[in-house]
Amino acid sequence: MVEEGKRKGLMNKLIPRVLKAALWGTFTYVFVYYLPRLIYPMDLFPLKYNQFFYLFVGIAVFFAVVVKFFSGTIFEHAFSIARALILIIYFIAVFNGGVISLTMPMEGTTVNLLVDLKAFLAILILMSLLEIGKSMFQLTNFLVKRAESSQRSMH
Amino acid sequence: MKPAIRALGIATTTIWILLIVFSATAVYSVMNLGIDFGEAQFFPSSEGVVLSLPFFINNSGYYDISELNVTTHIEDSNGTLLTVSNTFVPLVSKGSNVEAAHNISIELGDATEYIELIFNDSFFVSDTFVALNFARIVPVQMSMNITVPWGAPFYNVSVGEIFDLPFNITHVRVVVPVSFENHSFLDITGTMQLEIYNDVNELVTSEKTSLDVRSQSTYNEQVDTYLSLADVSKLTESGNVHFIFEIPMFTTELWMPYG
Repeated sequence: MVEEGKRKGLMNKLIPRVLKAALWGTFTYVFVYYLPRLIYPMDLFPLKYNQFFYLFVGIAVFFAVVVKFFSGTIFEHAFSIARALILIIYFIAVFNGGVISLTMPMEGTTVNLLVDLKAFLAILILMSLLEIGKSMFQLTNFLVKRAESSQRSMH
Repeated sequence: MKPAIRALGIATTTIWILLIVFSATAVYSVMNLGIDFGEAQFFPSSEGVVLSLPFFINNSGYYDISELNVTTHIEDSNGTLLTVSNTFVPLVSKGSNVEAAHNISIELGDATEYIELIFNDSFFVSDTFVALNFARIVPVQMSMNITVPWGAPFYNVSVGEIFDLPFNITHVRVVVPVSFENHSFLDITGTMQLEIYNDVNELVTSEKTSLDVRSQSTYNEQVDTYLSLADVSKLTESGNVHFIFEIPMFTTELWMPYG
């Protein structure tokens, strides 16, 4: 009887989380995959960059789901920090350290294209570092609140 | 701590939105960038030839294109640098059109350097390097390598069998059949002087004739020179013909054996 009540309580906690996480995942998928594909046809970009785009969608959707699922727990902040770190590595890999080099055949000749995106990459990394900073503050705030509530319950 | 978290949240959200808007508009701008090339044209100049490559940029995007720099290195088939040309367009503002031409000048004044190109077909290797600044924060560089065929203006100069005909009581007419092909893109207008030297390298006779040979056509004429009867014995069965070609772009000479 007690176990059944516990299971019911757990289900009552889990179901809204799962629904919220699924909703958030769908919203992220639509925002980072469906809308950009609707606006820009992906076949304009080289295959390598299409694959990087799918990887970005995967990272964004996965972390959107897990962060939402674990919201209100320490894992929410841990996954937020992990997401920011993974995005830093991802951006450095995609932008090839800031310089993108492409070779395209064009009317019987080969055209080498070099795009210097160092400034853009620096902003993206800075953004991710700000996200980490924010998550660290949120984590500290979370731990302080938990310590305060445990102290209150002891008194 | 909460105000700090909120401030960081607002900052990151704002910058994310700005980055997404910039990325989307930048991709849109690149997709709407119209670049067109006109027909390449060759012009004779006082020092040689000028290859003019007209281009047209229609920047209907949201960002300026600045410091557009087109540099072309042209090398001959041996890898010798012939010319370096540069075209600079300081700014192509958003919503504006720019028409410009990249002029590549090849100086042929000192024809001895280009003797191979005057008498033999060849090819040029053109290395084009384009640099520009997109939206003032994204430098873009583009390079390409093109092989351009070159047609010689005096290809396959040859002298036929020289013969003499009676002209009057004091002179004979010496007929020199001369042929060559103008493979170049330019019409040849100028003069051709030919001097006939005998087998002991003694000047026998000479004549200057005008040239008007259309591009991609053959010159096949008999050039008449005159020789006094007293000097007829100097004309031997073999010897050399010395050609001096003079056209507005250059003057060059060629020795050709006959007989």
